[in-house]
Amino acid sequence: MNEKIGVYVCECGPNIPDRIDIDKVLAEVSVIDGVKTAKKFGLLCSPDGKNFLEEDIKKEELTHAVIAACSPRDHEQTFMTVAVKAGLNPYLTQLVNIREQCAWIYSDKQEATRMAIKSIRAGISRVKHHLSLTKKELEMNPDVLVIGGGVAGVEACLSLAGTGRRIYLVEKAEELGGTVSKLGALIPHQGTAVDLFGEKIDRVRAQDDIEVITGHDVTSARGFLGNFEIEIEPQGDSSEIRNLQVGAVVIATGFGLLSSEHLDTNNGEKNPNIVSALEFESMLAQNAVVGKDGKPPRSVALIHCVGRAELGYCSKVCCLYMIKYAHHLKSMDASTKVTSFYTDLCLPDKSDQAYYDEAVKQGIRFLRSDAPSIQSAEGQVTVEYSTGGGKSASEKFDLVVLAPAMVPGEDTARLADMFNLPLDDTGFFKEIHMMLDPVATPIEGVFVTGCAMGPRNIPETITQSQAAAGKILGSLIPGRKLEPEVKVSEVRADFCTGCQTCLTVCFYAAISFDESRGISVVNEAICRGCGSCVGSCPSGAIRAKHFTYPQIYREVLEILS
Amino acid sequence: MDNGYRPSIVGFLCNWCSYAGADLAGAGRSEIKPYLSVIRVMCSSRINANLILTTYLWGADGVLVAGCHPGDCHYEKGNYYARRRFALLKKIMETLKLEPERLQLSWISASEGKRYAEVVNTFAETIQHMGPSPFRTHIKL
Amino acid sequence: MKNPNVLVIGSGVAGMEASLLLAEAGREVHLIEKDSLIGGQTIKFEEVYPNMECATCMVAPRQQEILQKDTIRLHLLSEIKEVKGSAGDFTVTVKKRARYVNLVNCIGCGACYEPCPVSLPNLFEESLGEIKAVGVACPGALPNVPFIDPEHCLRFNGKKKDCQACQDACMFDAIDYTEQDQTLELKVGAILVATGFDMYDLNQLPQYGYGKIPNVLSAMEFERLFAANGPTQGEIKMKDGGTPNSIGIVHCAGRNECGYCSAVCCMYSTKFGYFLKHKFHDADVRSFHTDLCVPGKANQKFIQGAIDSGIRFIRFADISIEGKNGKSAIHCTRDDGGKETFEADMVILSPAMIPRKDTATLAEILGIHRDKLGFLASRAENLSPVETEKEGIFVTGCAEGPKDIPESIAQAQAAAGRILALLDESRSAVQNDQG
Repeated sequence: MNEKIGVYVCECGPNIPDRIDIDKVLAEVSVIDGVKTAKKFGLLCSPDGKNFLEEDIKKEELTHAVIAACSPRDHEQTFMTVAVKAGLNPYLTQLVNIREQCAWIYSDKQEATRMAIKSIRAGISRVKHHLSLTKKELEMNPDVLVIGGGVAGVEACLSLAGTGRRIYLVEKAEELGGTVSKLGALIPHQGTAVDLFGEKIDRVRAQDDIEVITGHDVTSARGFLGNFEIEIEPQGDSSEIRNLQVGAVVIATGFGLLSSEHLDTNNGEKNPNIVSALEFESMLAQNAVVGKDGKPPRSVALIHCVGRAELGYCSKVCCLYMIKYAHHLKSMDASTKVTSFYTDLCLPDKSDQAYYDEAVKQGIRFLRSDAPSIQSAEGQVTVEYSTGGGKSASEKFDLVVLAPAMVPGEDTARLADMFNLPLDDTGFFKEIHMMLDPVATPIEGVFVTGCAMGPRNIPETITQSQAAAGKILGSLIPGRKLEPEVKVSEVRADFCTGCQTCLTVCFYAAISFDESRGISVVNEAICRGCGSCVGSCPSGAIRAKHFTYPQIYREVLEILS
Repeated sequence: MDNGYRPSIVGFLCNWCSYAGADLAGAGRSEIKPYLSVIRVMCSSRINANLILTTYLWGADGVLVAGCHPGDCHYEKGNYYARRRFALLKKIMETLKLEPERLQLSWISASEGKRYAEVVNTFAETIQHMGPSPFRTHIKL
Repeated sequence: MKNPNVLVIGSGVAGMEASLLLAEAGREVHLIEKDSLIGGQTIKFEEVYPNMECATCMVAPRQQEILQKDTIRLHLLSEIKEVKGSAGDFTVTVKKRARYVNLVNCIGCGACYEPCPVSLPNLFEESLGEIKAVGVACPGALPNVPFIDPEHCLRFNGKKKDCQACQDACMFDAIDYTEQDQTLELKVGAILVATGFDMYDLNQLPQYGYGKIPNVLSAMEFERLFAANGPTQGEIKMKDGGTPNSIGIVHCAGRNECGYCSAVCCMYSTKFGYFLKHKFHDADVRSFHTDLCVPGKANQKFIQGAIDSGIRFIRFADISIEGKNGKSAIHCTRDDGGKETFEADMVILSPAMIPRKDTATLAEILGIHRDKLGFLASRAENLSPVETEKEGIFVTGCAEGPKDIPESIAQAQAAAGRILALLDESRSAVQNDQG
């Protein structure tokens, strides 16, 4: 063939020549078909070395370059950059590891030399089958759709505002505010008044670049990062579909609460002395904390952890808001007997324990008990609780407040389906990587913030919305184009049988099925290049750019010859 | 126990964990037997039965596929697919009268340099002990 | 005209995340790191909860990116000394200690360590291992370049002024005794503090016998024993070389003294339990805790799995440890009033997470406040935890308060977002960020 391959062996100082007979290597590889030149150099990654390489590539008019040196994890990028400078496509190079995985592990010089020659031959054979690959640039839309107008959605909008993009805030209810606007008060060290959210909502409405669309549902979503097409319509009215084109989506649809009907309702009749958290918030908001008799309760039981054992997770916020209720009850009437029944006290934020300690000082009782039982009895409620060692006790209360577990919001499953998002086993949205990317999903450009992703408190929700905004601000920059991964997978239409196996293995939903042609198509904009689809294809129809079968097979053949 | 046979082993290592572990083995100057050559792929899920069987057909005595520990895959699920394909392939190897012990799937993390060396050396010993692969002697392409 | 560039203090997971996001957005980032390597505390862990994921595998790609990204200017062995100016226009004075090893020339071959005559306890390994006066903190440290500790190096501390063992061994002209400490003046538009945490000094808790009873370890010490790249390559051995058959893990060490829950200990203590049960199937592993702090959708499952694997979880009201016949006797008054004693071969103590010792100095230099507990304080009302009361100065991660990795990363992304918005020239004036 017409290749002119340059082979460069880096000595890495004494590291490699001490253990590998470099001259022997050069002698062997220089006679390989296609090799134009084989040279050694002291330290190729040094400024001198890089200059030498660049000059030599140009001088020898090379079509490919194989560098035998350290690990590609160290310097693949370095030498690819040199290639570009020398006018050579960076993907027509190959870095062969003869240091970490050869010189440093084989003590016998002959063996090490043999293995080095073998890997360099493999590299040369491989590089002959490399294709020029170029970075693509994709137009993208920097606008953002935020679904859900509660504290999470509002914060996301405000964090994105004023950065040269349009933000659409779509809320299914007629009013913005979500659950937080229904709260009577916030936890002091998490924010002092619900009014503050009112201010944020006002700001959202006042911003020119934020369009607030209430009373609407999101009904369909197509596309990918930088290029989403979303349909929204007024609740229950499909005649007024509106199309939105955005580059990213932030899902902020919040949470639900486990139904406490089994505890507060008897024979279809709701007991007004047993209320769940949101009902109590409403009482607080209206300054109407009263029992069945219309009078303020003299004794209140706060039952934490309702549903915790059944659902298998702790909802994080309840201990704190129960302490909030306790404080409020005491501040309304210090003589009110307030007792909290809990399983574990969850006080993870730095100021939480101080808040709890204050509550204890105010005479609020905290009793640990697994699953206390509740029964109505003549205008009061009896709570029976365990006192340890198999014993139990019971007390009567005027009012019982329940803290039910936080559950996925009612829109979660529908939106997950629409956007191809996975749910975890609790039914909440699932992060792409729980540790390293808590607000992102496997669908690039779609973020989830706040309680839609799982139990969160308000400061965390705000942080997460800012985080989603941060990720968008960092990647969808107005005027800039997207530069997706180069080493992606590609379906060769002629070989695809339309079995769709590849769709099932793609974690990033980067493959779609073209019904009209009966073949799978890889979306290069979001493909990450893992090759799972390539490995799964029964027809071998998918090509993994830069890791093709011919390239890998050439390495195998040389290794085994 | 050295029977004098020099096996040819191909190792397919995933870029993110096992290749890094192999590099660390080198950085730690671990002593590794010179019978395994490494081919780097981005994810262990790139590897399938086709690739592995062809490797045997072309003369490999042993094949090692190494990836990230379950749960650690850089692409989240890739190594689970590798694991499934691998289990199936082992069964097929029995029918082909190719000893399943000639194929090994190992999970090696980026910090397991010493372990990588142990895995490769133990595997090399096993293959050496087993001698040349039956595919190698009976099938010529 | 706002300076679009950013200074990030701390190269742990939070600092790295923010730096990468900002660099991706085209900003130049000055990443200031006090230590000789990047990665913070997370690189000390072998596995992290709740998926028992390999921490080094998780963090390594990020570390590599940090080192390879042109627009991230990494300053190791550096600390900030002074900050002047305001949002959009800060001037930061940074003291950069000499490494005495050239970062460009050195290829990390390690030839200089062996001939060095000085060995000292390696702080990265919680003093369970040693490091030479010229060395890297751990195998796999990034950048893979050693540094000379001038306090212990015989040449620099004057004990043997002509010692040049390391330089003689180096083939790359990488050792440079003439390198000087530097003072840098960096101009940036915003500053992000991501300096992380310290752990409560267990020596202050005599009831646990730490430092007196052998085989009573701190969590960090155990992390290093557990680590494949640690001083024992992942082997868990007791001081006498034997393997433990009974292990007690004691949560909440220092909680009462500190007055807050550190949020992550119940989970990492359970992580230890999983690891121990996996390694020593028949070992008696008991976890002593007060409240189990396991918020969120995945954490309680983790604990349940540990219980199912045979780890006993014991709720205590009071606890102390006594050395007895070579073992550690954990005396505990349970929550139900009963008393029990567990004689364990090995004890792991999970201490409270506390602000770093230099937080006070840092806060003063930056002109921001600390909260009552000594962590860096967010703006009042706490409606934006990453923003401090000073515009242009942000805080993320454990510098702000105890939190786990996902929360630290979220805060880092949030802070980066706020910074990008703050320094965005096209930003309209309507926004009132304060309030």
